[in-house]
Amino acid sequence: MIELEDIEKTYLAGSVETRVLKGISFRIEGGEFVAIMGASGTGKSTLMNVLGCLDKPTAGHYRLEDTDMVNLDDDALSHLRNHRIGFVFQQFHLLDRATALRNVMLPLIYADQYPEDAKEQGEKALAAVGLSDRMGYRPSQLSGGQQQRVAIARALITNPTILLADEPTGNLDSRSGAEVMAIFQRLHRDGRTIIVVTHDRAVAEHADRIIVLKDGMVAEDQPVARPRDAEAEAIALAEKEAAQ
Amino acid sequence: MRIMRIAKEGARALAAHRLRTFLMMAGTIIGIAALTVIMAVGKGTEKKVMKRVNAFGTHVIMITAGGGKGFSPPQEGVTTLRPDDAEAIRAQVPGMELLNVFAMKRGLPVKAGASQTQAVVTATDQNWHEAWDWPVADGEPITDEDQATMARVCVLGTTTAKELFGDQNPIGEYVQVGNVRFRVKGVLQTRGVSPHGGDFDSRVMIPLSTGLRRLFNQDHITNIRLKVGDSSRLTQLGEEVRQLLRRRHTITPPKEDDFSVFTAAEVAKEARGISRTLTYLLSALAGLSLLVGGIVLMNILLISVGERIKEIGLRRAMGATRRDVFMQFVTESLAVTISGMVLGSVLGWAVSITLARVTQFPVVISWEPFALSLAFAMVVGVFFGVQPARRAARLKPVEALR
Repeated sequence: MIELEDIEKTYLAGSVETRVLKGISFRIEGGEFVAIMGASGTGKSTLMNVLGCLDKPTAGHYRLEDTDMVNLDDDALSHLRNHRIGFVFQQFHLLDRATALRNVMLPLIYADQYPEDAKEQGEKALAAVGLSDRMGYRPSQLSGGQQQRVAIARALITNPTILLADEPTGNLDSRSGAEVMAIFQRLHRDGRTIIVVTHDRAVAEHADRIIVLKDGMVAEDQPVARPRDAEAEAIALAEKEAAQ
Repeated sequence: MRIMRIAKEGARALAAHRLRTFLMMAGTIIGIAALTVIMAVGKGTEKKVMKRVNAFGTHVIMITAGGGKGFSPPQEGVTTLRPDDAEAIRAQVPGMELLNVFAMKRGLPVKAGASQTQAVVTATDQNWHEAWDWPVADGEPITDEDQATMARVCVLGTTTAKELFGDQNPIGEYVQVGNVRFRVKGVLQTRGVSPHGGDFDSRVMIPLSTGLRRLFNQDHITNIRLKVGDSSRLTQLGEEVRQLLRRRHTITPPKEDDFSVFTAAEVAKEARGISRTLTYLLSALAGLSLLVGGIVLMNILLISVGERIKEIGLRRAMGATRRDVFMQFVTESLAVTISGMVLGSVLGWAVSITLARVTQFPVVISWEPFALSLAFAMVVGVFFGVQPARRAARLKPVEALR
């Protein structure tokens, strides 16, 4: 469960104050698949940073399960990010010189307890995103879609409370994008809490619920009546490619 | 251990950027190599000094005819040093245990039958064997009776004996020096090579009286060797001897001494010679390399922090604390300097061994430079790694990921 209560964020550039978030409140239950939408400049990224405990709000409360992150210091936030939040970024952010497996195991380095079977866990996570045969590959040897799947495996390895994806399909072609969304839908069916931040309504409609930001405030918060089926889309796109 | 996992991350980053890592190491390698050579040469020199001092004698004062600096052979044509100088020292400077008076000439032709060679011919009193701690291996030594009777006898060094007589026993045979024939009465023990590279065993010893009257036809000597009882008073006694001889030879400033007095202290100073200069030079090189190397290391690390902002942001997002990031960069810096130290030590050893082979410079390989180098490497690694590491740790994850 995560709960935002009157979250505000104000940036100070010189003497000019910019209020980016102007009191945002919502609640996401465990197991939900939520898309946060908004055009650029609506405070989407700032909200994403707050949700990911990468940045603190200027005012308000943000409760992640039982902890209010607003009261935590930098070390505690790092700790929270490590075991409660799994990040997926638009630019993947993989370590170029490390293999897929090494990349997936990265968060474990910063865990309280380094699991003895870290390698097995990494292999399992890679298998879960369909990359069992690519463990020893470097990011440069993988396609964009495969790189993003490595990033998803990395996000899952610490078994976080929420999976936070920022424009996860932004750098991918439609088919790879659909495949990535299909993975999210599958993880959601397995009971994961997933938050996808996107500007693209077609992407957002894979979720169960869409929160629309406008001007630093929640403009809309509605369930999706019939979420799109990413798997079917991916198959259709693959068939279309094959036909060409 | 978390710190070990983080150190491993640092090591992986270094292994992935070999050229950069090598450039970071270069200064440490050179500095530590220089340090290793300094210590090897320094230890070697001390060993050489001790050997020289022991060979010279720790209780010995040596007086040589002719002035000038350095422990050198007596000067030809200086006739002022005489046997009665030795008598005066014995009478007037207390604390002398043994006096040995001798006159030597180098490179004199020595014949025996058809064989001929060159040798140092030393005309000496009977104290020589004891003063130099150099007894005969075979036959008889020079005695006071030989002195009294001006006997035409001699004792040979092993090299000379071999050159003249081969494997034949020389005792009872005759050798000719100039136009005097000497009966061989003994052969000295083998001494080997002198610190200056000469052959100690190429020599003919004859009685002092015989030498001065019958062979050299002179009444001056070339050396007096004194053995003192208390070696701690060596320098002081040496000075007393010098003053006495100055009075006897009526030397007043600005006239230079026409003799030189040498003790173990001077021998040590001379043996250290240029190795001291070399040590200063290499120390400067080592210090400078470590300093410049450290600055280069810091610069490259700072650049690498700039290049790796995204990586740092990612690590922060994955849960790395500021401390984790800081430690990663410090361990990277330390790994660079410690690896550089290992390479530098190996290089230093190689240079030391080559130096020993090629120049016969005295070199001693020991573990101390390794320990000292490790300490230096760690100081440099931490000192120059902290600033970049702090900068990396201070990055805000949000800004780093942007």
